[in-house]
Amino acid sequence: MRVFAGLLLLACAALLMRSTAFSVLAARGVIVDVLAFVTVVWALRWGENRGSTFGFILGVAADLDAAHWLGRHALALALVGYGVGRLSRALVRGNPATQFMLLFAATLAHQAWVLVLELGGVAGWRFLLGHVVVSGLVTAPLGVLVLALIGLGSGRSLFSRAAIEDAPRT
Amino acid sequence: MAAASGVQPPPLGNEGWPLKRGGRTPAGRLMGGFLPPAERRSGVLVGLYVTIALLLLLIGDRIPQAGLRGVGAWLFAPFDRLVLVVDRAGAAWRENERLHERITRLELDAIRLRQAGVENLRLRDSLGLPAYRALTLRPAEVLALAGEPVPTSATLSAGALQGVKVGDAVVTSDGLVGRIGEVYAGLSRVILLTDPNSAVACEVESTGVQGVLRFSASPRPQLLLTGVPMADTVRVGQLVLTSGLSLRYPRGLPVGRVERFARDLNGLTHEIEVAPAVSRSRLRHAYVVPGPVLPGAPDAEVGR
Repeated sequence: MRVFAGLLLLACAALLMRSTAFSVLAARGVIVDVLAFVTVVWALRWGENRGSTFGFILGVAADLDAAHWLGRHALALALVGYGVGRLSRALVRGNPATQFMLLFAATLAHQAWVLVLELGGVAGWRFLLGHVVVSGLVTAPLGVLVLALIGLGSGRSLFSRAAIEDAPRT
Repeated sequence: MAAASGVQPPPLGNEGWPLKRGGRTPAGRLMGGFLPPAERRSGVLVGLYVTIALLLLLIGDRIPQAGLRGVGAWLFAPFDRLVLVVDRAGAAWRENERLHERITRLELDAIRLRQAGVENLRLRDSLGLPAYRALTLRPAEVLALAGEPVPTSATLSAGALQGVKVGDAVVTSDGLVGRIGEVYAGLSRVILLTDPNSAVACEVESTGVQGVLRFSASPRPQLLLTGVPMADTVRVGQLVLTSGLSLRYPRGLPVGRVERFARDLNGLTHEIEVAPAVSRSRLRHAYVVPGPVLPGAPDAEVGR
């Protein structure tokens, strides 16, 4: 129940930030991909099942907020949640470099997919590439900083160390 | 023990996980063998989500989404307002100073224009032309913007209760923002000029050159004034206004300025890029202008 409440709260907060504070930046061409960020954080924390579920629910909500292409955010974020969740138990999740790489890759994948649909193809690939890379370069360091601040504020990391050693052995 | 009973234990991979037939872990077959085993039913779950998402992509446009969006807008409106209070409190002080200066300048302009208006009315009357319709403005707050990389819609804090109707024009002091696409009880949704389905009949200031303003997302997001014959003269910097040919929008609302132009692919018409008059990044307040009562379909605007 606590996890479900957390899921709803985080999803609502992400959608809210996206349509208010970050929409001002988006209108100036700088997209802080808050949807990819929270999906990565959730999947890192809870693994692939909850990661993909969170990504899917958040994606459907974001799709409903936009006027076109119902399902595009849902597809990308469900896969991001699954992929990151799948990797989460094999990585040192508290490591800023790991977080940076995951956030960068997730933002790149999410934005590339969304923009290709929005622009109707890859004809404007220069614009697309520029936007996607800028979005990744903004979201990843900002995300790492936010996670570090949360860690400092709460006194402990959101994530425990990777648990390869916990994998089943025979 | 196992060897003694004749049962061989399964061979172990590099990480100590049991290998399945073929010598690799299930995850290893996909991801090079460095991942721990997947959670139970994770493949089924993600497969289900991908299938639903693909179905939504294929048939999503046929699902009535307006009701769902209305509920979402209603749920989020109080939070939107809360976040915006913090965002706007800082900007309000600076904006207040700027607005005071602007009001003074505009009041001086208004005196001059009032005299010109009286003269204009007299001249129009003598020519037998109808008088211009004064605009009724209903103020509303812009609660949220949606769409990336360019916002395509916005949520307004005025709805059916405030008399807002589908098709009404939305303006700011800078110019045209878009038109109302969906109306809920106390909220409404504006389709911005940057929506790919939006089309506005426009004319270029003073020359009266006519064209249709559309948004093009490819090769990069831009507002284009299309359908302007090559024979017509257009200059960079000229103002683009809504034209009298538009059934939906009042005439003379600023839309943007000519930024650059080129030949279209057919070589028959200009393709004019227009810099929008309204900055979407500073969209805080807007005014709803009631549209004219149209005979027939509410979507008669398309293509005009």
